[in-house]
Amino acid sequence: MIVDVIQGLVDAISVGSLYALTALGIGLIFGVMRLINFAHSELIMLTGYTLLLFASEPAAVAILGGLVVAVAVALITERIAFRPLRGADPTTLLVASFAVSFLIQKTMALTVGSKTKGVDFLPSLGEQIVVAGIRLQLLKMVTIIVTVVLLVALSWFLRRTRYGREMRAAAENFRMAQLLGVRSDRVISIAFAISGVLAAVVGFLFVSQSGFLEPRMGLQLVAIAFVGTVIGGLGSLVGAAIGGFIVGAATVLLQLVLPYGLREFREVFVYLLVIFILLVRPQGLIPSAGLRQRV
Amino acid sequence: MTFPVAAQRTDKNVQAPSELLLAVDDLHVGYGSITALRGVTLRVHRGEVVAVVGPNGAGKSSLLNSIAGLVRPRQGQIRYAGRALDSLSIENILRSGIALVPEGRHIFGSMTVEENLLLGATIRSDRQAVAADIADLIARFPILRGRWQQPAGRLSGGEQQQLAIARALLCRPALLMLDEPSLGLAPAIIDQVYKILHELHDRGTTILLVEQNATRALEIADHTHVLSAGALRLSGTSAELLSSPQFDAAYFGVTPPEQVPAS
Amino acid sequence: MTSSAAMRMLRSIWPLLSLALVVTGIALVASVAPITVQRRVAEAFVTLVAVVGLYIFVGNSGILSFGNVSFMAIGAYVSAILTMRPAAKAMFLPGLPELIKQAQWVPIPAALAGGVVAAVLAFLVGVPLMRLSGIAASIATFALLSITRIGIGNWNSVTGGQNSLMGFPIYTDIWTGLAWALVAMAAAFIYQETRSGLVLRASREDEIAAHAAGSHIYRHRLIAFVIGAFFSAIGGVLLGHYLGVVRIDTFYLDLTFNIVAILVIGGSGSLAGAVFGTIAIATMTELLRQAEVGFQIGTLHIAAPAGLADVIVALGMLLIILLRPRGITNGREVAWPFRP
Repeated sequence: MIVDVIQGLVDAISVGSLYALTALGIGLIFGVMRLINFAHSELIMLTGYTLLLFASEPAAVAILGGLVVAVAVALITERIAFRPLRGADPTTLLVASFAVSFLIQKTMALTVGSKTKGVDFLPSLGEQIVVAGIRLQLLKMVTIIVTVVLLVALSWFLRRTRYGREMRAAAENFRMAQLLGVRSDRVISIAFAISGVLAAVVGFLFVSQSGFLEPRMGLQLVAIAFVGTVIGGLGSLVGAAIGGFIVGAATVLLQLVLPYGLREFREVFVYLLVIFILLVRPQGLIPSAGLRQRV
Repeated sequence: MTFPVAAQRTDKNVQAPSELLLAVDDLHVGYGSITALRGVTLRVHRGEVVAVVGPNGAGKSSLLNSIAGLVRPRQGQIRYAGRALDSLSIENILRSGIALVPEGRHIFGSMTVEENLLLGATIRSDRQAVAADIADLIARFPILRGRWQQPAGRLSGGEQQQLAIARALLCRPALLMLDEPSLGLAPAIIDQVYKILHELHDRGTTILLVEQNATRALEIADHTHVLSAGALRLSGTSAELLSSPQFDAAYFGVTPPEQVPAS
Repeated sequence: MTSSAAMRMLRSIWPLLSLALVVTGIALVASVAPITVQRRVAEAFVTLVAVVGLYIFVGNSGILSFGNVSFMAIGAYVSAILTMRPAAKAMFLPGLPELIKQAQWVPIPAALAGGVVAAVLAFLVGVPLMRLSGIAASIATFALLSITRIGIGNWNSVTGGQNSLMGFPIYTDIWTGLAWALVAMAAAFIYQETRSGLVLRASREDEIAAHAAGSHIYRHRLIAFVIGAFFSAIGGVLLGHYLGVVRIDTFYLDLTFNIVAILVIGGSGSLAGAVFGTIAIATMTELLRQAEVGFQIGTLHIAAPAGLADVIVALGMLLIILLRPRGITNGREVAWPFRP
């Protein structure tokens, strides 16, 4: 019995971590640009397809390829679609990212086809290992560890490096940062590049777990992650991670806790929970001061 | 790029003409259908304190913002040390030696005092000199040391103002512009802030100051302009303006009351 | 009524009247065209109703909603279930209450029921959602989309779950489509001229001022959301009774994208944007559909690849946002052509 609980918790934490990483990638860009990047889902999807492309290469090559593709596409979309819109209101930006997302998605469907493709990425992660006498799937442990590592790395970058500092300043008060000489182009490009890395990692973990690809695969993850960033508090990176984590973990926990007939509806309960949190705290769990400050 | 060295002031009463640092000519600034400045012309000489006073909405912020490069003027010219500023980016204007402390201070509340200050050195690459400057600033602004690792959002209004000024000074500006430094501060705190401005003035920093609080500005300024509804109404030294019957009219845009004959 | 007073009245309803004439004109032309064209035009009218439903909320509040397709789903399911043959219901939807199982309604009450149920849901969801800032509300409407999809998709005994619902009348033709389109357009026009609509539009420009206005904006957003939901649901009703089949899969992100794209391309700020956007996209997709079928030159079959229409719509949406963000109509209604 206790074994089930622990396995369930590990599952919840692992899924929560995946959503936390996704939400983080979204929150990072929202922070510096007030853009909700819908196209983040396509970064994840394109990473997946890159893995298929490199299916016969060693995993390290495939991983490198995935990272390159995700970062490159992120930077390209920033340059072409989002830079001209800098300073536009958030709804216009949202619509633009929606358009970019579907453009990429539909183009993939046109060129590669919408049929689901199978892909075997790091199948060894599917194995089970025994930790303290309990059988756990290696992939889940890897997901958790990778997430922690990335969170620590990102935190270090933001707190201890000059560019991280500039990014935080730009996220809190863009104009004031500009007045101090912070280069907005550089800060935003770095944010997009990091979000590309985060998307790629999510892509690796997700594809390894699910084993299939289709042009719409990123949407599921991102739709839930979006909601996570909203309850976490738009504009706060910590909030995004926490919100994404909560929503992701909740879907798993509810599956364990709900009676049999209601289990398929677990996402409904998660969303109802989301709506409840928003009723009580519309600004999110960790509101961001930066949202209102402008020179 | 070398920064223009701030001149040392010798004697406040000497009226020797000093080098022209900033020349604003016929400046027109607007946002959409709103015109904020209509043909503003003024001069700032090296080592001077120039104040622009006026009521809310006069266009004072627009003046400083357009010099700093935040908003492009519709018409007119801004020349600094002979160079036209119009086409320069905000960063390059900063590198030329002009720093703006905007209205409301705008320190980064979620970041520590140290981080806020470090951001002031964004355009500088000379690490050693930056470190020396920071040490110097901590000496001149003692409150910074006490709050070094605290989030700047916890500082009081006056402390934030000092932080904002210190941060701007880290760029070693030859021209420091301040937008309403006394706004929202208690009189005793305003005293502190203006004491700092006096010190800066004595050290030779050129200051362009914008204030609603005309009294304070007049105390420190060498030369003052009254800006109202986008245009300069009156200019002169503090003595001239304080004794001018047109001052209230220029400031508030009302006709002066009739002189009541002494009975 | 004097002629100048009549002219003034005409002028005040001109934005609606002009669009109504255009739409009616299209229906009249289609009525003498082959049946395949009529089917396409009917489908376009269905889309128009759905787009107008979205417009009523988005156009007035300036907040993008991803959730209106879920109202379409509700409308479609409610109307399908109410008009379905009782025998089919008894067999496939055992979980329905007896009253509904035995009922077989005629189209209009069933459609209205669909609209009302959606409106009620919109109210319940809108109460928390409309408090959020614009962008947060937009994202939260995603939650709505997912809730409906999962809720309907798993409620097997009542909705058939993932299965297709059939056995209800197919009555959506160009005249039904036209009639509902005119009703929806009239409702949209009337609402945007009411005080509620005007107040909401003013808040569109300046969210900070809107925030200062406080609860009033909240109330009006909710009103617009509910009215829009009603008509989105009608769009769903018409869609269901056009296809003859209702599946939850239809009502998810692809449909959301199509409807949002049409409104953005046409211009989300005006009713004319909703109408002309629909006409433009419907025409284009129809042409591309023909191209996808292709044609023969000798032994060569030339056809556009499937899915090209989607790519072009997405590209169009992106270009519009970059180059003409207020859409083809630039947020304006049809102008009065005569001097005042």
